[in-house]
Amino acid sequence: MANYYDIDGILVEEEFVPVVFQKAINGVKIDESTEKGYVEQGSKTELPFWLAQELHMRQAVSIRVPACFNQKTRLEIQADAACVDLRSRCPYFYEFGCKLAPLCDKSIGLLLSYAFRIRYKEVLHKAHTTAFAAASKFLMLLTKEETYMYEAAQSSMAAFKKWRMGGPRLQRASILGRKRKPAE
Amino acid sequence: MYARKGYELVKDLANGEKGQLQPFNEDLFNQVVDQCTQHYLELQALIRKMHEESVDVRETRNADHYGALIHHLSLIRNKRCLMAYVHNRAEIIQSFAWKVGLELLELPEEVQEKLSPSEKNYFGKHSAALQSYMAEVGIDLNVDMVPPKDPYIKVRVLDDMGEGILLSDKTANLARHSMHFLKRTDAEQYIARGLMEELTG
Repeated sequence: MANYYDIDGILVEEEFVPVVFQKAINGVKIDESTEKGYVEQGSKTELPFWLAQELHMRQAVSIRVPACFNQKTRLEIQADAACVDLRSRCPYFYEFGCKLAPLCDKSIGLLLSYAFRIRYKEVLHKAHTTAFAAASKFLMLLTKEETYMYEAAQSSMAAFKKWRMGGPRLQRASILGRKRKPAE
Repeated sequence: MYARKGYELVKDLANGEKGQLQPFNEDLFNQVVDQCTQHYLELQALIRKMHEESVDVRETRNADHYGALIHHLSLIRNKRCLMAYVHNRAEIIQSFAWKVGLELLELPEEVQEKLSPSEKNYFGKHSAALQSYMAEVGIDLNVDMVPPKDPYIKVRVLDDMGEGILLSDKTANLARHSMHFLKRTDAEQYIARGLMEELTG
């Protein structure tokens, strides 16, 4: 398991996956819309990954491929990976894919590495050259992981510039947040 | 949905700017705890039912077993969310002691308002531990890590700080926008709190 307290680690596992129940289950209300307090064998629903994974391990459900790794997305990524809006499909596209691949479809791994190789180049290129205002549209397409990479690239560039030009060593502690205008 | 409240709590933490504190979400926090109780009661009910039907709770894999399992997993999930919430906030609170100031009253007011009472207590105890350790080894560990080129630096005051503030070698009137030549160790804490800025060149 990744770090127990890791916020992103928790959020990845909340992504939903479609499952088919292989066992009947009593005393749970999976679907809020129905009143019945049980699940029949063979019924389909979507569960968050943390639950689906544990139930899969005990052969209680089988996992199917979620929409963010379907054929349509694959074709789009093959066409031009850098322009695909991965964020709206799954904000943790890579992490989620890595966790999911061994459980339902191994070919997800190839898709991930293909998408990452092309998008990585684009992210670094944009991080080093584009002004912040122009980048905001591009940033909307990035997954969480890619956004961190983008920020890391930018901050290393900023640190390099600061090292070359010099500047104040001491600064307001970043944990206090951005400086606000003092009330006049 | 199962353990959904825990997710909302963590989401609340993630939505804030990275590494910065949000107000303690007492309301949602208690809702997660309530949901844990709910899962626990339903888990117990299912186990009791299995006992009444006199099936072996350890070995049987019937519908009740899987129901209980889902409630058990939801409990664990909610626990992880609660722990992560408290833990990540505690890390930020610790860094206040290291980077901003060792006394609660030295922190900006808007930060103080965001702490829950037990977090204030935690901050106080962490500072006290840090202080006693620094006194024992005889080194100030919360100052800048890079050795200064000059023990004095030029600063500009950004906020009204009052008159006659006691520094290590003098008292100074630190009016807003005035410039001073101060000992670096005196100025560091004020810069960290955003009351002064360092001037270069």
